Amino acid sequence: MIQLYNVYKAYQSSHPVLIDISMVIREGAFVFITGPSGAGKSTLLKILFRWEKFDRGQVLVNRMNIGKIPEDRLYLLRRKIGVVFQDYKLLPNKTIFENVAFALEIMGADRKAIRYQTWEALKNVGLTHKKDAYPLQLSGGEQQRTAIARALVNRPKILLADEPTGNLDPDIASEILSLFEAANKAGTTIVLATHSQDLLRQSDHPIVTLNQGRILETQFTG
Amino acid sequence: MFRNALHYAIANIRSNRQVCLASIGSIAVALSFPGLFLFIFVNLNSFLSNWNREVQLMVYLKDDITQQQQVDIEALLQQSPNAEMVTFISREDAWTDFQTLFADKSGLLEELDFNPLPASFRVHFKEGPDRVDTIRGAADSTKGVPGIESIDYGEQWIASFETFLIFLKIFLVALGGILAMGVLLIISNTIKLSVYSRREEIELMLLIGANPRFIKTPFFLEGIFHGTVGAIISIGLLKLLHLYFQFNFEGTFGSMTQGIEFQFIGIFYIAMIIGASMLVGWLGSSLSVNQFLKSYQK
Repeated sequence: MIQLYNVYKAYQSSHPVLIDISMVIREGAFVFITGPSGAGKSTLLKILFRWEKFDRGQVLVNRMNIGKIPEDRLYLLRRKIGVVFQDYKLLPNKTIFENVAFALEIMGADRKAIRYQTWEALKNVGLTHKKDAYPLQLSGGEQQRTAIARALVNRPKILLADEPTGNLDPDIASEILSLFEAANKAGTTIVLATHSQDLLRQSDHPIVTLNQGRILETQFTG
Repeated sequence: MFRNALHYAIANIRSNRQVCLASIGSIAVALSFPGLFLFIFVNLNSFLSNWNREVQLMVYLKDDITQQQQVDIEALLQQSPNAEMVTFISREDAWTDFQTLFADKSGLLEELDFNPLPASFRVHFKEGPDRVDTIRGAADSTKGVPGIESIDYGEQWIASFETFLIFLKIFLVALGGILAMGVLLIISNTIKLSVYSRREEIELMLLIGANPRFIKTPFFLEGIFHGTVGAIISIGLLKLLHLYFQFNFEGTFGSMTQGIEFQFIGIFYIAMIIGASMLVGWLGSSLSVNQFLKSYQK
């Protein structure tokens, strides 16, 4: 599903962020990317949905060579990838229902499909009772569940999560992890970047450790 | 997709109501200037064509003209293209007309103990688009003919007026161009504010796979809306000015505007102002949105 070959990225030529990263993530896999701050986790994730460009190497996502996608066609790649951020990125002036529905609206889905799929996504994260609330009226865990619902509402093949539990306490983090596990069981390929050792200990998925832009080790726990 | 874009455009306008009003107001004021000059131009043009209709060729004869010369001149004038009627005005008739016209200035007339006016031919020409040119041609062909003292059809005055209108036309085009740039900047800046006020939403749209066209279209519609409403208000202001002139000044310029009504700019000019303003609205918003989206291309 995701293949990287010798990917190199530097923000300034003297300061590389990723150096010769190569990995293959199969369809339906659940992979953790970990490492200290500045290791290159977020940049790697951003490269996978072409929010950032890379300088060298090849990246294939869902059989698309993403380095060759023109700017005006990038949205087609991003529609196949759900993304969850540490800061949730919810729109404060929209209700929880509208926030989730937004991902379908921008694709031009019809109203009936939007209503049905949004309701299903909120049901999967246990938030139907909060559908009319606004993000700032919810707890951090609920906001992140909303963000996960939004990322999954159009049934993407890949879900990328960048420190999704970074702002949450351990109990809530476990709940959030279980939502990713459920999505993975439903067939979604998941790449989750975290530096939380607690989160890594709770699961038996492969862990790729980055340090100073290089792959330090790959652990297959399970 | 268009329904969604319209929905977002309306939301943009509502959430930036004050900025939107300021933008529309500025556009309306900016467009009122070329509109005002267009109004002046249209009316001057209308006055000119009315006066052109009144223009006739006066051929003044020498006092010592022979009978044969007078017959020849009359024949020549009658042969002029589009000449409708040639009337001979004797010195006596001219003097009688003069006395009638200036009856209230009897003091002046009493001091004149002789008739200073020459005999003349008055030539009326048929209506036509090239009427003044025809008269000019007829005047040229009679120049130097024996027995003719002078020829007059207000040539200098008409030529000056026509030159003035050409300059006014150039001025209008230049002013229109400069103000179009101004309107472009106003709209571009307003849309920039609108874009920045929604930058989080736009960034999220890009992150989750919105087609760039989907992002841009509401802002295009907003720009077009500003341009259109601004243009309509400026035309409304112009109409008020037209009505003010009609009620207060029509017919008060005496013989100069007799039978002439103040004209409002025609449907062509109205469509041109609105169309140009819509185009500028689209261009202004396009500049801002594209510039903003470009900042996300890494």
